[in-house]
Amino acid sequence: MNQRKPAIVAEHLTRRFGTFLAVDRVSFRVYEGEIFGFLGANGAGKTTVIRMLCGLLAPSDGNAWTAGFNVRTQVEQIKQHIGYMSQKFSLYEDLTVRENLAFYGGLYHLRRDQIQQKKQQLFQQLELAAFETTLARDLPLGFKQRLALSCALLHDPPVLFLDEPTSGVDPRARRDFWGLIQSLARSGKTIFVTTHFMEEAEYCHRVAIMHEGKIVAMDTPETLKARSRKSSMQQVFVSLIQQQLTES
Amino acid sequence: MRRPRSRIAAIALKEFWHILHDPRSLTIIFLLPVIQLIMFGYALNLEIQKVELAIIDLDRTPASRELIQHFEGSPFFEVMAFRAPISQIETLFLRRKARAVLIIPADYSRQRQQGTTVDLQLIIDASDPNAAINISNYCQQIVEAVPTTRLAPPPAPFEVKSTIWFNPDMKSAYFFVPGLLALLLVMISALLTSVAITREKETGTLEQLLVSPVTPVEIILGKVIPYVLLAFLDGVGILLIGVFVFQVPFTGSAVLLAFLTLLYIITALSLGLMISTVTSTQQVAMMAAQSATLLPTLFLSGFIFPLRSLPWILQLISYIVPARYYLVIVRGIMLKGNTLPQLITPALFLMGLSTVLLIIAGKRFKTTLEA
Amino acid sequence: MRPVLAMIKKEFLQVKRTREMLALLFMFPLIQMLVLGYAITTEVKHVRLIIVDLDNSRISRELVRAFQHTDRFDVQARDILLTHIGEYLQGWKAQMALVIPRDFGRLLRRGLQPDVQLIVDGVDGNTAGVALGYARGILQQTATQLSPAGHPVSYRPTAPRLHLQERMWYNLNLDSAQFMIPGIVVVLLTIIPMMLTAMSLVREREIGTLEQLLVTPMGKLQLLAGKLIPFLILSFAELVLVMKVAQWIFRVQMHGSYPLLGAIAFIYLFTTLGLGIFISTFTQTQQQAMFVAWFFMVFMILMSGFFIPIPNMPELLQTLTYLNPMRYMMFVIRDIFQKGSSWVYLLPDIGALTGFGLLIFLASILKFSKRIG
Repeated sequence: MNQRKPAIVAEHLTRRFGTFLAVDRVSFRVYEGEIFGFLGANGAGKTTVIRMLCGLLAPSDGNAWTAGFNVRTQVEQIKQHIGYMSQKFSLYEDLTVRENLAFYGGLYHLRRDQIQQKKQQLFQQLELAAFETTLARDLPLGFKQRLALSCALLHDPPVLFLDEPTSGVDPRARRDFWGLIQSLARSGKTIFVTTHFMEEAEYCHRVAIMHEGKIVAMDTPETLKARSRKSSMQQVFVSLIQQQLTES
Repeated sequence: MRRPRSRIAAIALKEFWHILHDPRSLTIIFLLPVIQLIMFGYALNLEIQKVELAIIDLDRTPASRELIQHFEGSPFFEVMAFRAPISQIETLFLRRKARAVLIIPADYSRQRQQGTTVDLQLIIDASDPNAAINISNYCQQIVEAVPTTRLAPPPAPFEVKSTIWFNPDMKSAYFFVPGLLALLLVMISALLTSVAITREKETGTLEQLLVSPVTPVEIILGKVIPYVLLAFLDGVGILLIGVFVFQVPFTGSAVLLAFLTLLYIITALSLGLMISTVTSTQQVAMMAAQSATLLPTLFLSGFIFPLRSLPWILQLISYIVPARYYLVIVRGIMLKGNTLPQLITPALFLMGLSTVLLIIAGKRFKTTLEA
Repeated sequence: MRPVLAMIKKEFLQVKRTREMLALLFMFPLIQMLVLGYAITTEVKHVRLIIVDLDNSRISRELVRAFQHTDRFDVQARDILLTHIGEYLQGWKAQMALVIPRDFGRLLRRGLQPDVQLIVDGVDGNTAGVALGYARGILQQTATQLSPAGHPVSYRPTAPRLHLQERMWYNLNLDSAQFMIPGIVVVLLTIIPMMLTAMSLVREREIGTLEQLLVTPMGKLQLLAGKLIPFLILSFAELVLVMKVAQWIFRVQMHGSYPLLGAIAFIYLFTTLGLGIFISTFTQTQQQAMFVAWFFMVFMILMSGFFIPIPNMPELLQTLTYLNPMRYMMFVIRDIFQKGSSWVYLLPDIGALTGFGLLIFLASILKFSKRIG
């Protein structure tokens, strides 16, 4: 897997808010076509890392590249090459599914026929067609999530950032969603996903576990489980955090 | 009985936290009234003064110069000589150099000597009609004071003596402090509460509240209590400034005023709540609250324009403007020393108004839940 | 261009979806105008008057009759006891009392200049002043019809006098609507763009869509352009609507050029839209944005000469009004409407407005950071 080109590179990435150190010298690489899971409790610094990688937030220290572009200097190029889905499913609730898609398509300079074509494809893939003229606010939560994903995929970005994409969604919809993510990865997209559902880590090719701004472990789920002799990621996580707490 | 009260307290406490965690709004809530009051105190002077008056003296004799001196002596005018041809007068108005032009005819002194009536021309930029009326009145007064004959005018057959009660010096503070109190209280109360429920609707937290065992009444009460206190504190602040900085007398009972102010605040909050239940977004709620408070309170309450001079339709509307009643209450208690029996009508109206508003709000709130 | 168009379309869809919003956007200004147009009157009418006629002579009855024949006063009660005046005035049952003393008629016939007493409730200072003026006028007019001997004679001027020939330019009938309504247009041109911009930007921040927009390749300027152009169009639509209705209902006359007014309004909108962006950069919630917008607005309106003439203010405040962009727009619109001023005379104002517009707009764009932190 390491033979492939890296899609995201972070080197000693650091972010301070005042005196609070939200992200502390984080380094990692994510390779093309990989599903990279970022695990941690709420407030561990996951969203801050994503925001820096998307160019929404300037790093205080260290450096990073997304899709080959520097997050400090090439913010605009980055935005062309990423899709981003925030934990709030930032949709316009008073617009219909179609209008939301048309809007985001417009933002990415897509032509109408391109939007149309992409929309058909996504509708089929995500089973959204029945809701085309439904207002976003009236969608069931699982479909809101799919719509948010469609909006992020419209311009066919090579790198996809998903910030807590499954929060609040029922287990079945969650499983379906991960199926989608895996098929996206197979088609060559790099997926960077944060979650605090440890069982979801099993779907990732590799995971990094964050605690208080630091990465405390990073490897494939299998290796992590084997190394700490635990049967589930949930247990791996708990033991790692306990280890951290006793050390500090 | 203990449990429902504690739930209301929980909501009230939460609402307090919302307010406290937002120091910016809090500052504005307390600073805005103070600054407004002080600005109004100094700016709200409807008597116009220092009007630029251009005088075209075509006569240029000692007699005409004496007439000009009468104008120069008035604190109301800032006189300037204008020597350009009369056809240029309009540019004075267009460039806003003068608000009025007085033309003294070329035969002014000759006619005065002959003892005939002289016509002076006064051209007024009447684009602001109020100012125009004032300018005209002041000019009339000055001109009438110019002695035209040696004979004293015949004495008036009788004299008019006037006494002004409750505000003998016609101080404007007596008039705007109560008005501003009414305005700021209704705006703060109605605006704050109008957004309070809509915000929860928008962020989805209302659902969260509704799935808990709280009743709608508890939610409404809990949300309103903090704002009642906040508005009340604000009102006290305004009153203190009014009494101590602007020296507005306080002749009546403070307890009665506090009690009726509470009633007014509750009415205003009910208005906010009602708006909040009929609107779906904060933006709309805010716009609606603004249209329901600012203009009616300024113009349909008797604050600036006397109600009895308004067209009947506006007078009719004014019956549902809470400030209309509160203004009578504040002015009555502060300046006239009114007691409750004298203020029973406005107090009852406020009570009725808030009851109706609350019933509408409650009804609408229930249907929101069922929808 | 496509991202901007997408934004514009989205904004319009959102406005359209919120039907109440649309109603408010257009109803609110109209109601505001109607109320102001009818309510702003310097006239005082139907002042409640009580009369205590202790004389009850032919002459005193003459005076009483004069007060009954005008719509400026409504006589509430006659022949009440002197001691009841206090109760009437304090109890809000009357605003003014006229007291004609005993022997008034007799003293008048003898030329002994008796007094007439007016007592007025000064709580509403404005009304009191105006009403007092009216009452004096009525009394004086009646007085001039009474010779010193008490017999009515017709009035004729005896002494030579100075006569003022007045000409009211630009507003022959002293109609206050001609003055106030253009002012309301400015107020609307300030409130609506500022509030809409600030609230809608903050709203997107609140629900998280702003973050979503910021990760798209759309530039900051494109984002703002997409936001502002719809509001610009809406503001202009309102402007046209309000002016049309004003002309139709209040017969407000337009003596100047519409293109000139439109052009200057366009310049002014940069200031108000800019202020909206500016407010959105340092507020987190819509409630906050609304309050800050209020704060700005109250000052701008108060210090613009809209209803408190600038020359009435103390020196210091007068100087401060030069920092208020609304002040210039207020003058411009009234001059164009009432005087038909051409751009030559408005150059200083246009200059100031352009300066403020550029300054505020550029500053707020710079402050509107595309990054979050």
